[in-house]
Amino acid sequence: MQAEVTPAPKPKVDQSAAISHKRAKGYNLHAGDKYYAFAFLGPSLLVLGIFVFYPMLRTLYLSLFLTNNLGRPTVFVGLKNYIGLLTSSAYQASLQATAIYVIGVVALTLILGLLLAQLAVKKLAGIQWFRTIFSATMGVSVSVAAIFWLFIFSPSIGLFDQIGSFLHLPIVAWLTQPGPAMTAVIISTVWMNLGFTFLILFGALQMVPQPLYEASAIEGASEGYQFFHVTIPMISPTLFFTSTVTLIGAFKSFGLIDLMTAGGPNNATNLMVYRVYQDAFLSGNYGLASAESVILAVIIALFTLLQFKFLEKRVTY
Amino acid sequence: MKKQTVSHKTFGIVAGILVVLAAILGWTAFSHPSASAQSNGRIKVVFWHEMTGPAQQQLISFSKEFNQSQSKYEVVPEFEGSYNEAVQKVINTHGTDASPAVFQSMDISTSQMHHTGYTTPVQKFIDADHYDVNQISAGARAFYSNQGTQLSMPFNTSQPVLFYNATLLKKLGVTPPPVNPSYSDITKVATQVMQKSNKKVQGMSVEIYGWLFEQFMANAGASFANNDDGHTSTPTAANLTGASTVNTMSWIQKNVKDGVFANYGAGGNALNNEIASFLSGRLAMFLQSSATTTQLTKGNKDQVGITYYPHPDGQKSNGVAIGGASLWISNDKSAAVQRGAWDFIKFVMTAKSQAEWQAATGYLALNKGSQQQPALLNMYKKLPESRVPGEQLAAAKPNNTNSGIFMQGLIQARNLTQTAMEQIYAGTNIKTALQTAQSSLNGNIKNNNRANGY
Repeated sequence: MQAEVTPAPKPKVDQSAAISHKRAKGYNLHAGDKYYAFAFLGPSLLVLGIFVFYPMLRTLYLSLFLTNNLGRPTVFVGLKNYIGLLTSSAYQASLQATAIYVIGVVALTLILGLLLAQLAVKKLAGIQWFRTIFSATMGVSVSVAAIFWLFIFSPSIGLFDQIGSFLHLPIVAWLTQPGPAMTAVIISTVWMNLGFTFLILFGALQMVPQPLYEASAIEGASEGYQFFHVTIPMISPTLFFTSTVTLIGAFKSFGLIDLMTAGGPNNATNLMVYRVYQDAFLSGNYGLASAESVILAVIIALFTLLQFKFLEKRVTY
Repeated sequence: MKKQTVSHKTFGIVAGILVVLAAILGWTAFSHPSASAQSNGRIKVVFWHEMTGPAQQQLISFSKEFNQSQSKYEVVPEFEGSYNEAVQKVINTHGTDASPAVFQSMDISTSQMHHTGYTTPVQKFIDADHYDVNQISAGARAFYSNQGTQLSMPFNTSQPVLFYNATLLKKLGVTPPPVNPSYSDITKVATQVMQKSNKKVQGMSVEIYGWLFEQFMANAGASFANNDDGHTSTPTAANLTGASTVNTMSWIQKNVKDGVFANYGAGGNALNNEIASFLSGRLAMFLQSSATTTQLTKGNKDQVGITYYPHPDGQKSNGVAIGGASLWISNDKSAAVQRGAWDFIKFVMTAKSQAEWQAATGYLALNKGSQQQPALLNMYKKLPESRVPGEQLAAAKPNNTNSGIFMQGLIQARNLTQTAMEQIYAGTNIKTALQTAQSSLNGNIKNNNRANGY
């Protein structure tokens, strides 16, 4: 039906007319195109609907209820799950722990990744080896990394404490004290992230045109000045990308936490995602867990938005 | 032009039909993972458990032996991960083909499992078969029963006990604690260990563990929750600030402050570190589940001593509750399958099976006849101390305060008591810490009762 109403395309007159025609076509679909559009989008919409939109709406719905021992929503409580969470000291502690973890992980990953990339970009003999080693953690699975770091942090047989006792340093109970445990999981996560960050930043550094350095060198710029005024602006889109990806990844960290500390000691590493898992799948408290996941989603969205709004302005494409 | 439109339409419709078909196919594939309930003429009885290591091996051999012993049923053991995860899996698969016929569920899920209404109480089969329940430990049965009805069959069962390094104490010239020690008996031994070893050996450790907190209350005869720990009706409030609990916590806090007790923290790492220190002779005593006995004695040159759980001074020990898990029968399976599940439960509870179970795993044999079985007698000969946990279990007369807490949400409750313990060990005012845990717990209980319509 629509096809007959829509005016038939006029023959091309000139370049600008052709462009405007193309644009018009984008908004005013041909009937046949509609079927095509549906056929092509349909499967992905269906998959998204079942696996993304429905769970999202369901989570939102569940978060307004108390759930019984079968996990079914029984009593509507409105926003009480949210209010209860935000006023509970345990949840505030979890928010705080998440903040420390995310800031630590993002900052250290970016700084160390950039440092390694900057070192590896230098053309030296055998540099290929270092490039391979620096990116090696990309190929390490979370469980392997966790076991590896558990060996290092273990209080009686751990590498750190063996070295410490050899040097007569005080023994740190890495995974059984709140502060050191947080440090330990941050170190492990940064180590895990480093391979990917290094590789992306290394690629970006290689793309910086050499003449820019040569020109600035002629102007008498020092290496440090070059780094901050040539390198950083040139790789800023990549830095922006890695910071966003690392931030979202840090908020969603689960595997290392589960395997290394299981949220302990004394909930010191009980990050937001881990709490969601515990409340839903260990305690069966689906209403509360849903409220926690909604809060987490909102926080991640907010930070991503902030990053796009403020960081992107300083990004030179 | 028109022809083209039709072909677009046809294409769209065909594609749409394909998508719907794929979705339906996917749906059916997921909802019927195992269609046949019968295999080679036997009735299939799926058994979910959460045991690893030697216990898992023993369960597999139990299933094999049971399958060979008769030709009607075929028990299929399936490992389901951790205790906590298994509870949710049982609830979420109920009523589908994927659900188990008989499953193992942890001690603190008892009230929840009962209230789901998804299980057939084993009492039904006990009555039908005139099964002699008196052959099974009364303390273990009491934990898994409610108002005279046996809900599930107690299975892998442990007791909290005190372990001490007997060789080390002898070397230091310290008299070991008595079989049923009081708090001050323990303080005395721990203090002497510390003094005589020049602070090189830690005297004692009480892990920050909600289970131990509950056991201190049980042994003092104090209720954790009202309505007799839930044994008379659904609890509506917690009672964590009673005089005996404050007394126990003061005892620990003072000793931690004096450096007589070591603080190993909470969680799996704490347990591993305690065991590592104990085995290397740097920790003289600690409280733990009797299930760790094998781990502590195998390959250990030092002799390990075991005593009952400590009790408050000036009163007799009330007895502690058991830990572990029990076997439940799902009610979503046919009568024939449920009967097969019950026959399997009877098989694993015989005197012979239970004796083999304790010898292989360290979990206590619950059948009284097991004590005369060669498997256990051999074990006692090699390790006389391994009698103690069973004796402690037999000595306690089950009552409402030492038969577990019949309440839902105990996982969260343990998180709260553990946080309180952590604070108390760090020097926080005991009443404040317990009060905080209690008010959070009361909030949880109230919400839970509301959500379940109690």
